[in-house]
Amino acid sequence: MSDSATHHEDGHKSLIIENKKLLMWLFLGSDCMFFGTLISTHLIYRKIYPQEFEPTSLFSLELTSFSTFILLMSSFLMALAVSAMHKGQLKSFRRNTVGVIFFGLIFLGCQVYEFTEFAHLGLTLESGTFGSTFYLMTGTHGVHVAIGVFWLICMLFYSYTGKMDAHESAVDVEVAGLYWHFVDIVWIIIFTVVYLIEFIGKT
Amino acid sequence: MSEADYHPLPVSPDTDHSGENEKYHVFVNLALVLAAITGVELVLVYLPFNTTFIFTVLICLSAFKFVAVIAWFMHLIYDKLLLTLAFGTGLVIAAGTYTALLFLFSRSYVAPPEIPGM
Repeated sequence: MSDSATHHEDGHKSLIIENKKLLMWLFLGSDCMFFGTLISTHLIYRKIYPQEFEPTSLFSLELTSFSTFILLMSSFLMALAVSAMHKGQLKSFRRNTVGVIFFGLIFLGCQVYEFTEFAHLGLTLESGTFGSTFYLMTGTHGVHVAIGVFWLICMLFYSYTGKMDAHESAVDVEVAGLYWHFVDIVWIIIFTVVYLIEFIGKT
Repeated sequence: MSEADYHPLPVSPDTDHSGENEKYHVFVNLALVLAAITGVELVLVYLPFNTTFIFTVLICLSAFKFVAVIAWFMHLIYDKLLLTLAFGTGLVIAAGTYTALLFLFSRSYVAPPEIPGM
């Protein structure tokens, strides 16, 4: 495998996989195991200590649904940013990346607001297994979002330096995009198994 | 490098860009579908249906969203099989971890330890 061109002069795709892309997919596979463990721990403790905490009194489905919607739309903009970079449309790339960063910050803002509200209502890291596993899981996801936002801000600034290499930059943006979409799919799972399922039959 | 002369992959612009333009429509449609599904999920938990039915539908919708983002937004269907395997391995191990823990901590097998102060 090599980092050398994946596209030949005639425009046909070669059989080569970019090293950066392969490494990112391997990292995402390992991150999947990481989040799988965190989500599993939360669900198992929820199952064996069902009476410990009643999350429906805390969770705001409207706020969480809004966060989910925001993250999904940020993924859409990220896909457009990657596509724009492949087409060499730097302006479009910047516009979409600013959108992704903005949505990412909104998501983080919602999470900070949610954590603050929960802490005021008595759910803390020390308040039991539910608090511990919930904050660890959603907090780790939040850190991933923050890293993604920081990464995209760096890319955005880098695009103004004029140092972007034609082929390499498209691959770099694609790799950053993979990371961002992964953050989105993890939230898709958390939204359903941690938030939505708690409300079934209780509304 | 100015924006005017910035063309990452200048070869066969018609061919390459038509592919990207097709993807644009796919992305727009997918974003609309994902937003709609999120709305349906929110409404579903408030409906007075059988809980098992709602649970199953929610899991299916979530799985669809998960797969759709991976397949189209993350370009996995356009990419090599090796990348699917690299990610799929992690995914299978993660699912296996949950399944194993579920059996290990099943109420019928293990009595839950007491939590101090409860």
